[in-house]
Amino acid sequence: MSIPLTLVHAGSMYVIQKAERTVVELTLENGITGLGDTWGTPEVFAMAGAFGKAWIGKDALDRFALRTTTLGKSNYDNKYGRNGRAAYAGLDLAAWDAVARSLKLSLAELIGARRRESIDVVSTLPAAILSKAVSRDELTKHLDDLSNTPKVVDFALQQVHKFGFRSFKLKSAAYSPEWDWKLLNELKEAMPHARIRFDPNANYGPATATALCKRLDPLGLEFFEDPTGELEGLARLKAAVKTPVATNMWVVKDEQLAPAIRRQAVDVVLGDLFMWGGIDALRRMAKASHAFGLKPALHSVYETGIATVANLHLASALPEVEYPNDASLHFMSADVLKEVQEVKNGAMTLPAGHGLGVTLDRAQFERLALERTVVAP
Amino acid sequence: MHSLRLVAGKCAGAEALAARVLLADGTAGFGFTLNMDAGMARDMAAWDALGRSRAVPLHSLLGGSHRKRIKIENDGNPCISPDWTALRKGILDNKYDLLRIDPFAWGSVEQVSTIAAAATAFDLGVALLAPNAHPWEVQYCAALAATIRGDDARIIVRSAFSPEVLVSEKPGAGIDWALEPAFLKIQWQS
Repeated sequence: MSIPLTLVHAGSMYVIQKAERTVVELTLENGITGLGDTWGTPEVFAMAGAFGKAWIGKDALDRFALRTTTLGKSNYDNKYGRNGRAAYAGLDLAAWDAVARSLKLSLAELIGARRRESIDVVSTLPAAILSKAVSRDELTKHLDDLSNTPKVVDFALQQVHKFGFRSFKLKSAAYSPEWDWKLLNELKEAMPHARIRFDPNANYGPATATALCKRLDPLGLEFFEDPTGELEGLARLKAAVKTPVATNMWVVKDEQLAPAIRRQAVDVVLGDLFMWGGIDALRRMAKASHAFGLKPALHSVYETGIATVANLHLASALPEVEYPNDASLHFMSADVLKEVQEVKNGAMTLPAGHGLGVTLDRAQFERLALERTVVAP
Repeated sequence: MHSLRLVAGKCAGAEALAARVLLADGTAGFGFTLNMDAGMARDMAAWDALGRSRAVPLHSLLGGSHRKRIKIENDGNPCISPDWTALRKGILDNKYDLLRIDPFAWGSVEQVSTIAAAATAFDLGVALLAPNAHPWEVQYCAALAATIRGDDARIIVRSAFSPEVLVSEKPGAGIDWALEPAFLKIQWQS
C-alpha cells in the first residue's frame, strides 16, 4: 500500500512524500489472525507472498524453524539479502501477534514482560522544509541558502506544540556541514532541553563527518546517528568526540555486533525490526549489546500503526531499551488500524489487549491497498 | 517454597528446594534448585506456570526448538562463574570457544537467554551444566538447550550419563516431578 505523508521528507537518501508498506495478515488454524507490517517495495512484497506460501502448515510457535526454513541457518545462507530479512520480519511480526493472541498474552508479555505502558517517542525532522518532492539538485540549491534553516526550527516547534515532543531526529542531506551546524545550533537554542539526534545516514565522508561532529560536540546532542560509515570510520569519529555515536546501518546482523564491540565503533545500536529480520533477532541484539555496555534503541521510519505499536511493545518488554523510540506515524496521512495511535506529551501508549492489541480497519486497508496476494492452502 | 530430600540418581540424600508459583488463573508451576537459590527455583516455577497455563512447552515461549534431542557430555572443564564482568572479559580475550555455564548458578532463564545472545554475536557455543546430574537438572537444561542456536549446544555433566536426552514437549518446563517421591508428598499451602 501507499500512504501519503503530511510532510515532504528530505534526507541524504531520498526526498519522498509517501510511504510504501506491505501489510500482512496471517491466520492460524484456530482462526486467530495476526498483523504484520514491513517495507513496501515490490521486491519485499513479492518475497512476503512467496515466504508465506512456504509457511502454510508450519508451527507458528516454532519461530526458529520458520526462520531457518525461510532464510537459512545463517546470514550466509540467506540468499534474499536485507529484502529477505524485511519480508521475513513482516510475516514474523504477524506470527508473534497471532501466537500472543492465541496464548492470551500481550506481545510485550510474550517477548518478555510488559514493563511500561507509555513510551517516549522521537519526531523526525526533515533536512529542509520543502513544499513538494524535489530533485537532489533542487534540494542542494535550497540548502545553499542558509536563511532557510529557521523553517526547520519552526517545523520542530510545531511538533512540540501539537504533540509535546521532547525528542527529535534531524535528518541531514549530508550536503552542507554549514547548514547542519547552523540548523542544529538554532534547534538547540529554540529547544534547549530537547533531546536531538542527528542523522546524515552515513553520507558524509569520515573526515568531513568527524570535523563536523567535533564542532557539534559542545551542543550535547543525544547522539550522532550514522554520521559516517562504515565501522572503521565510525570508530575513528567516536574516538574524537564526546557525544554518543549510534548506528542503524552498520550493525544489522548478529555477526556485525562483535566487530562493533571490539572496535568500540558505536555507543548505541539502533535496531530496526525490518533490517534485523524480526523480533527474535532484535531481542538478541538488545541483550547482547547491553551485556557489552552498548545501549540498544529502536529505529523506525514511516511505518503503519502496526509496526509502530510493535516497537512500543518491544520497548516495553526490553529493559535494555532506554532511549525514546523512533516514530513517524504522526506524519502518515492515514493508518490501517481502527484504534488511533496518538502521540501525547511526546509519548505513545501501549494498546491494551492480547497480541499487538490493535485491529485492522478493513475499509482503510482496502482504500490504501495497491496490490494484494492471498496465500491459502 | 519447600525443602525436600532427594532419592534419584547420584543425589540420594541431598537437599533440594522446590518452589510453586500460582498464576491468577489458578495454574500452578513448579521449580527446583539443588544450590539453595530460592530465586532460581521461583524463576523456573514462573516459566513452568506460564507454559502450563498456555499448554505449551517452555521452548515455545522462548522462540521454539532448534533440536529435539540434546547431546550430553561428561566434561570436567570448569564452568564460567556467574559474573558478567569475567564473562565479558573472557569473551573479548578470546578465552572461549564454548561458554560452559551452570544455569542454576546464573539463576534465571533471562540470564541464560542473554548469554546465548552474546554467544550468537561472538560465534560461540553454549554448554549447560547439570551440576549434580540429577534428572530434573538434565530435563531443565534440555528445555533451555533446545532454544540455543548453533550445533555446539549441549548439556555437560560431571559423571557418566546417557549420551542424549529428548526435549520434552509437555507443557511447562518439562520436569518429571514424579521422579522424586518427596516432591509428590509436599502439601502446598494456598
